[in-house]
Amino acid sequence: MLTYIAKRVIYTLPIMLGVAIVCFLLVHIAPGDPLVSVLPPDASEQLRQQMMALYGFDRPYAEQFLKWLGRALGGDLGTSIRTNRPVVAEVGKAVSNTLMLAALATVIGFVLGSLFGFVAGSFRDTWIDKVASAISVTGVSVPHYWLGMVLVIIFSAQLGWLPPTGAGPGGSDNWVWDWAHIRHMILPAVTMSVIPMGIIARTVRALVAEILSQEFIAGLKAKGMSAFGIFRHVVKNAAPTALAVMGIQLGYLLGGSILIETVFSWPGTGLLLNDAIFQRDLPLLQGTILVLACFFVVLNLIVDVVQTAIDPRIARS
Amino acid sequence: MVQAVAPAMIDDATIERSPGYWSTVWRRFRRDPVAMIALGVIVLLILIAILAPYIAPHDPFRGATLRRLRPPGTPGYLLGTDELGRDMLSRLIYGARLSLFMGVTPVFLALFIGSAIGVTAGYVGGIVNTLLMRTIDIIFAFPSVLLAIALSGAMGAGIVNGLISLTIVFIPPIARIAESVTTSVRSLDYVEAARASGAGALSIVRKHVLGNVLGPIFVYAMSLIAVSMILASGLSFLGLGVRPPEPEWGLMLNTLRTALYTQPMLCALPGIMIFITSISFNLLTDGLRSAMDIKA
Amino acid sequence: MASDTVMTRAPAAAQATGSEPVRPLLEAADLVKHFPIKSGLLGRSNAVVRAVDGVTFSLYPGETLGIVGESGCGKSTTARVLMNLIKPDSGNVLLNGRAPGTPELSLKAFRSQVQMVFQDSYASLNPRLTVEDSIAYGPTVHGVSGTDAVRRARRLLDRVGLDPRRFAGRYPHELSGGQRQRVNIARALALEPKVIILDEAVSALDKSVEAQVLNLLLDLKEEIGLTYIFISHDLEVVRFIANRVMVMYLGRVAEIGPTDALYTGGRHPYTTALLGSMLSMDPDERTMEAPLAGDPPNPIDPPSGCRFHTRCSFAESVCSAKTPALTVSGTGHFTACHMVDPGSGHSKAAA
Repeated sequence: MLTYIAKRVIYTLPIMLGVAIVCFLLVHIAPGDPLVSVLPPDASEQLRQQMMALYGFDRPYAEQFLKWLGRALGGDLGTSIRTNRPVVAEVGKAVSNTLMLAALATVIGFVLGSLFGFVAGSFRDTWIDKVASAISVTGVSVPHYWLGMVLVIIFSAQLGWLPPTGAGPGGSDNWVWDWAHIRHMILPAVTMSVIPMGIIARTVRALVAEILSQEFIAGLKAKGMSAFGIFRHVVKNAAPTALAVMGIQLGYLLGGSILIETVFSWPGTGLLLNDAIFQRDLPLLQGTILVLACFFVVLNLIVDVVQTAIDPRIARS
Repeated sequence: MVQAVAPAMIDDATIERSPGYWSTVWRRFRRDPVAMIALGVIVLLILIAILAPYIAPHDPFRGATLRRLRPPGTPGYLLGTDELGRDMLSRLIYGARLSLFMGVTPVFLALFIGSAIGVTAGYVGGIVNTLLMRTIDIIFAFPSVLLAIALSGAMGAGIVNGLISLTIVFIPPIARIAESVTTSVRSLDYVEAARASGAGALSIVRKHVLGNVLGPIFVYAMSLIAVSMILASGLSFLGLGVRPPEPEWGLMLNTLRTALYTQPMLCALPGIMIFITSISFNLLTDGLRSAMDIKA
Repeated sequence: MASDTVMTRAPAAAQATGSEPVRPLLEAADLVKHFPIKSGLLGRSNAVVRAVDGVTFSLYPGETLGIVGESGCGKSTTARVLMNLIKPDSGNVLLNGRAPGTPELSLKAFRSQVQMVFQDSYASLNPRLTVEDSIAYGPTVHGVSGTDAVRRARRLLDRVGLDPRRFAGRYPHELSGGQRQRVNIARALALEPKVIILDEAVSALDKSVEAQVLNLLLDLKEEIGLTYIFISHDLEVVRFIANRVMVMYLGRVAEIGPTDALYTGGRHPYTTALLGSMLSMDPDERTMEAPLAGDPPNPIDPPSGCRFHTRCSFAESVCSAKTPALTVSGTGHFTACHMVDPGSGHSKAAA
């Protein structure tokens, strides 16, 4: 078990290095001048050279990368060209906003998804199964950014129940756990929960159906085990996989929040990325993506390790 | 031993033939009403895309400031007009072209490249496998939406950049499936038997490996089309994929956001198209998957 | 290990046909194949399974050599090394004195002369190919045209007792196990080989079907003049089909000799123990040796000296100290046991 964890952690290191290389290269596949957003269009060649040297863009790639990596490991992701503030500070605040939203969405998705999946798997091939499966297939097929707009139309524009955008009254920046703030979170979180809901429902349905069709269940029934006893059995067997899927989905939501945050103007990493892309703030783009990707890698690592701790058979495969 | 026939003389016509794998799959698929409807919808969408110039009532690019944002049901403009006064129905019809193209092309490109990588890694094994698959793992370490947006964001908006980003996103999952299926097929006795008959690697891959791995890989790729449709439109929605004034559903969704409060129905239309396409591909894949699940 | 000079002597059965010593068709010289076991932090291999650990024997034209032993003794690995499906760590395989994969005998040419039938009749046929396409594939690899190969496939189907009109266009899953194994035999025959290695080829079949397939194999052998290596854990079947038998234990040859000599007068305690596990109808033939107890030791860390000494009731100190060599113990009969080797130091060895 410990060997497995050690192996898994060591295996993660080259992946992290690869991720860092990809993030570094992002700036260099960008067409045009990386300084385009800081230099005035009529800047002299001399000023341009000075700025290049200042940002280190005139050095060889390998040297730039090592310097960049060294600083990144020390917690310095450079300075945002747009705001002149450290990228780390910008990303840090945004990450906590996104994490909050994604965690809530994952919980909603997990609860609903498990429910639909469980019902569908237990009543396999009946109309209940068909309805539950239809809901889950809708969940994975709906363009969630569009769903967000539809929810805004219904609950904000028509009914006026919930605010359409932002993370607090008057565009306030500081999150507080009160109703005035929480109500801003409901629509984006529900919208975001649709995809994990669909995926978890599909996973749980397959798991439950498979467990119920196994011979030992027939054996338990024959021995007179109650419906609740069998339910417990199914939950015990399906839970590790379902939880693992949930963990991975949280990672996908963290990385994929940009569309929903754009729809709802939620001040998280997605909105930050959007700004970085359209204002060509490459250090910010690079830093945000690096942080999100690392989050995802570490989350995968945790899921693997926890899953192995619950069910040691997995480590062998 | 029965020597009733002179074997050299057997006429091909007298040989009893069993239906092949794919015709069995098709027979089973045909019996699935949901999957058949999904297939019908997809064929219809493709026809709409191809025949757009003939069926669209108006020029999708011609607007008029005087008739902006008319609601659906306006005479002459069945589904209303957009923020520049262009006919919605015509734009939705023309939109099928770019939207389908942007959604489907990356998956097919990735299917081609990803299978090549995965089958090579799986069949050759050893150090080649390690090198290829560890590289793939790095790309796979990014959440797909993030990677697509990061790449297009860095490269800038545009159709080609969008296609490249999405293709890169879909290569790793396809390569992984291809690698694992190939690895499991490679160790089967019939591949050993083919090696024992003196065949070279290329001949074995062509005749014995591909026939058995392309099916599962293809089904997996099909399931990615639904995701790809949503992602491709999502890129345009963010302003990263297709650029205005081209009609594309995701881009239309973006430009119509301004009318969210005044013409909500109008605003919802392009999303419905994306949704229909995506769900059809999902249901088609489900049907195909269960049709291919032949126990024998 | 046995010296080559001992082993190249032809067995009695083959010698009887003429006074000239018969040249072996296929020779295995000191084959070694160890499989590394991946373990440890970085996947380093720090242990090996000694699947085949110095196997030497010769196969003579027209004979059937049976290979027997408990599961895990290296029978199947030996077959795969012989087929060149696995490269041995050391040792050679020679066909008519030539090594495959050299300019004198390309691997491809070798493989048209040595063919193999696998145990799992289903897994050894490509599920997406019709029966005739599976059989025709080999010849097309060797340059036979598609139509000729299909014609040959149909002729072979007829030869193995399957009506081509009914079976040529079928897929493997539509056939019974016995029918599939006939197809596999036809596939092996399609390259017109001299040697066919049958790796547990009838073990998965029902007894009645097994008998039919065995008879087919005997017919084909006589008609085409084939040479078989017949690998099986079923001692009765081997006795029925083989002229000579090789007993393997933990990757090594324990004993090799004419079938009758071995079955009635096996000299290695392992052979007698193995045969003792066979049910005999005749009480007089029942052996009084102790039956074989327990599982074979772990091939990762095999016992020193004679690998059988941990389970042998005659074991003495010499047995764990020294590896016994194959020693002549009768006409064409060799045994790797210190009790057979005069001067080995074993108390039961003839002085």
